[in-house]
Amino acid sequence: MPDLRKIVIDGQELEVDGALTLIQACEQAGIEVPRFCYHERLSIAGNCRMCLVEVVGGPPKPAASCAMQVKDLRPGPEGQSPVVKTNSPMVKKAREGVMEFLLINHPLDCPICDQGGECDLQDQAMAYGVDFSRYREPKRATEDLDLGPLVETHMTRCISCTRCVRFTTEVAGITQMGQTGRGEDAEITSYLGETLDSNLQGNIIDLCPVGALVSKPYAFTARPWELTKTESVDVMDALGSSIRVDAKGREVMRFLPRNHDGVNEEWISDKTRFVWDGLRRQRLDKPYIRENGKLRPASWPEALAAAAAAMKGKTVAGLVGDLAPVEAAYSLKQLIEGQGGRVECRTDGAKLPAGNRGAYVGTATIEDIDSAEMILLIGTNPRVEAPVLNARIRRAWLNGAKVARVGEVADLTFDVTEMGTDRAALQKLAAMDHSDKAGTPGVMIIGQGALMAEDGEAVLAECLAMAKAAGSKVMILHTAAGRVGAMDVGAVTEGGVMAALDGADVVYNLGADEGDVPAGPFVIYQGSHGDRGAHRADIILPGAAYTEENGLFVNTEGRPQLAMRAGFAPGEAKENWAILRALSAEMGAQLPWDSMAALRKAMIKDVPHLGKVDEVAANEVGDLPKGKIGSGPLNSAVKDFYLTNPIARASELMAELSAGAASRAKAPMAAE
Amino acid sequence: MGIFTPILRAVTWWNGMTLNTQLYTWRKGVRVGDDDAGNVFYETRDGKRRWVIYNGEAEASRVGPDWHGWLHHTYAEPPTKSPLPKRAWEQPHKENMTGTAMAYAPSGSLRQAAPAPRADYEAWTPE
Repeated sequence: MPDLRKIVIDGQELEVDGALTLIQACEQAGIEVPRFCYHERLSIAGNCRMCLVEVVGGPPKPAASCAMQVKDLRPGPEGQSPVVKTNSPMVKKAREGVMEFLLINHPLDCPICDQGGECDLQDQAMAYGVDFSRYREPKRATEDLDLGPLVETHMTRCISCTRCVRFTTEVAGITQMGQTGRGEDAEITSYLGETLDSNLQGNIIDLCPVGALVSKPYAFTARPWELTKTESVDVMDALGSSIRVDAKGREVMRFLPRNHDGVNEEWISDKTRFVWDGLRRQRLDKPYIRENGKLRPASWPEALAAAAAAMKGKTVAGLVGDLAPVEAAYSLKQLIEGQGGRVECRTDGAKLPAGNRGAYVGTATIEDIDSAEMILLIGTNPRVEAPVLNARIRRAWLNGAKVARVGEVADLTFDVTEMGTDRAALQKLAAMDHSDKAGTPGVMIIGQGALMAEDGEAVLAECLAMAKAAGSKVMILHTAAGRVGAMDVGAVTEGGVMAALDGADVVYNLGADEGDVPAGPFVIYQGSHGDRGAHRADIILPGAAYTEENGLFVNTEGRPQLAMRAGFAPGEAKENWAILRALSAEMGAQLPWDSMAALRKAMIKDVPHLGKVDEVAANEVGDLPKGKIGSGPLNSAVKDFYLTNPIARASELMAELSAGAASRAKAPMAAE
Repeated sequence: MGIFTPILRAVTWWNGMTLNTQLYTWRKGVRVGDDDAGNVFYETRDGKRRWVIYNGEAEASRVGPDWHGWLHHTYAEPPTKSPLPKRAWEQPHKENMTGTAMAYAPSGSLRQAAPAPRADYEAWTPE
């Protein structure tokens, strides 16, 4: 029960939780208080002094509203509610004074600054800035930092709000940034001039209220007011972070996070944020047909006719790739199973049980991690599989949760109790008595690495039995954005990917680039990028990437989310479901829908929970037969964070980051 | 221009030398030399004043850097006596083309006869 206090803000009386700060209470009253250093998801610093308010009856000076709690206010002499004023002359004068001090050392860079148009200082200077300067001395000069290939620094613009320092230490869990010096000499620096070693570092660009930290790849390419903003979801990992796609014409210029408390809060990983150059390179923009061993460009009718002729009367195996939206997976399943073929989406060989949603999605939501007191990681490295999820686990750890791990040892930015690295350790752990943990909320996170071997189903059964005994919830951490959705529509074959490919004459590859299709069958590849799958293909049908079509993606906790189209696919490329629909007509087995809406209607009729967008359906874990567990380590499924899908592999920046991470891993700093 | 030349020279200053300049050059000028474009350079007998008679339009950027330096008293000796060192990468002097059809345009500019193609993506090609 929160301790409710009465408070009067600008003459408006309201009752708020006593633990709130004044700035939060003002927000509840609908009053916006200007701020630079305060951020809801970071600790309170109180050093910018922009959020000054007047507290009646308190000390005769303005108070920083971000650093004062409602319960700290004293009531009036006759027990009246404390009074806070945010628009009195004293407040205005105080804020103008603060703004004048901030602008003393801030360069007049706005016309050449990338933050121009979305700069907090610019906006607030409109309200509280004075139109002249009393300062005749030279401005402070500082040297720019080298923070690596992602974050560009212009430290003369820094107003020392320390948001970046607080983010990197608290959320990202790295210790490279800090503030040194006092007074005029106070400077944000990196320790020994190191570059940042985190895959969440891009978030400090958004956090920076001025143009001190800006995006290096985006530098000088666009202004915020000329971009078309589309709210969408990310497919770089299975978390399905909410993003905003900023496009100019057909080109995606940048990705920004959107607030979604249930999924990514307001952070996104660097791969999500900086992958856009991959959307411009290596694109499949026209159909190709292989003739005499060489691929030649073809027209759509030609390619569709050739594909239909190749598939007619043959045993067709369909592979659903990692980035395929649910609609495409569903269309492919309807088309190929209608022809007597089979479809498979578990292309990495993970032994996810078909039809048992509690066992392939899990029972935990991402928000359950916040309240968990015990977290067990099995065969997963969340720092590379889903960095934003890792930040969430880190916060649970900061709040006192215990994190244990069975699997590959890796630095997760927090302390982990190691329970062993292999299957024997898992079995030993499972054999222990877990009944004492029944009362404490716990989450078990099972990675794809644990499920990919032959005994994957047995490992999963063992883990689920252990979770049941301990009364904890289970989260299956996927690595592919399209996997849960494809499992939901039933794009699976008994026996997995080997059984699906066994004896197939034709393979219809819907963007599965992570594995090789064995020599022999005729391959039709439908996808957006010229990657491994396109080189092996006999017919290529160019499809849209995730920013170029509307689509449904189900994230790793089983939350269906809509990705929206931000621009059109390049050249002659078409939307994925439309290609499958056109091909079905060519084959004489027309799929019964002519529009995305009709397709979704049919799909939701088959799989009702897909219709509840942004809701996590409750799952039951069905019975899983216990099998024999083999031996060997439980390693993470992701080897290279930056190169997990064809879009990232097409990106030059991701290649650079991958090479940088590899060289850092090989040669730790000599000073240490 | 032909027969209009004297008239144009009388009323404009940019079509060759003006009549006053011609008179002054004839009285005081000592010819020092000329450049590849046919501009002729003069100085007074005491060497205090230096000037150029353009071969055609009076346009300051038609004078190359060597003669420009002499005209502005940067160099005491004219290029005929002490020529500037010639580098391998140096190109012949060209006057300012701004405002003419020969003006510079970037490769993607619409003023180019064949503008460089602008693509918003890079297509994949087999092999």
